[in-house]
Amino acid sequence: MLPAILTPSSCLSLIAAAPAMPGALPPAGDAGRLPTAHDGPPRLDTPAASGRIPGNKGIWVGITCVFVEFAVLFSVYFVSRAHFPTDFEAGHARLSLVAGTTITLLLLTSSLLIALSVNAIRDGKRRQSIGWLIGGLVLALGYPVAKYLEFRWNLAHGIRGDSGIFFTVYYYLTLTHLVHGFWGILGMLWVLARNLVGAYSSAEYSGLEALASYWHVTDMIWLIIFSLCYVLV
Amino acid sequence: MRVTSSSTGTLALAGAWALLVVLTLGSLGVGRSLHASAWLTPIVAAIVWLKCTLIARYFIEANRAHPFIQWALRLFIVFVPIWLLLTAWLGERIAGWTTL
Repeated sequence: MLPAILTPSSCLSLIAAAPAMPGALPPAGDAGRLPTAHDGPPRLDTPAASGRIPGNKGIWVGITCVFVEFAVLFSVYFVSRAHFPTDFEAGHARLSLVAGTTITLLLLTSSLLIALSVNAIRDGKRRQSIGWLIGGLVLALGYPVAKYLEFRWNLAHGIRGDSGIFFTVYYYLTLTHLVHGFWGILGMLWVLARNLVGAYSSAEYSGLEALASYWHVTDMIWLIIFSLCYVLV
Repeated sequence: MRVTSSSTGTLALAGAWALLVVLTLGSLGVGRSLHASAWLTPIVAAIVWLKCTLIARYFIEANRAHPFIQWALRLFIVFVPIWLLLTAWLGERIAGWTTL
């Protein structure tokens, strides 16, 4: 059973669950092959009948847990906002817009490079895939650095967790997201190592795609946090 | 069915990324220019929905994913915009309902 907050070991084990699972992509050898009468009726769990699973089932169990976790956290944000609207309106304006925008651009671009890495491995271009993956990892590492600098800036400007309800909510939302960012970075290191040793190919890359799915969702959640904490002034 | 990069090509990914960057920077301008306006919340809600949908469509390739994944993404993506609109229009009622 998965914990609500993924641990590094659980993330890595999900990403490492690379062998083909029902619903994952079939081997490249089946590419474009039309069904014949010998194939019998289509099975309901085949990709054609029910859609494919990006990565593997395990990572989507984890991602669903992350959805539930952040749905609860966002609900707390909105209930607090309904109770203290003026505190929230005043709080937004005190945060560093430069830090929030920098993190957003870092995560968006990192997400793009990871998606390009998946595309490259699908095309059988492993070296290119490794290159994109390293690029995505370098940008992803900028996230905790930017967050550290932002928190330093906050403290220098008297913005602490007990500075008001908005900042309490802001800190728990962003710190929880940062933890998920760390899991994603650890996952990137793992899939990079596996890619370097040739574990992925155009026929089998579910581990890399699982990491990509997790990272895109992490990116998506940050985009929401960015709008809630930095944009709504 | 073999999935190749042509399904979500490099250009499509780069286009989605560029649009996401434009929306991000645009939302900052909207936040500043529509300060305290009643239009700010619906516009931000729409931007949040659009940005998350772009990620789901082009990066996660949700349109070809299993129905469960599609629905999980749809529900999560629409969750925050709905909350935003509810808090903007029914903030006091929500505060009343959630007072201990």
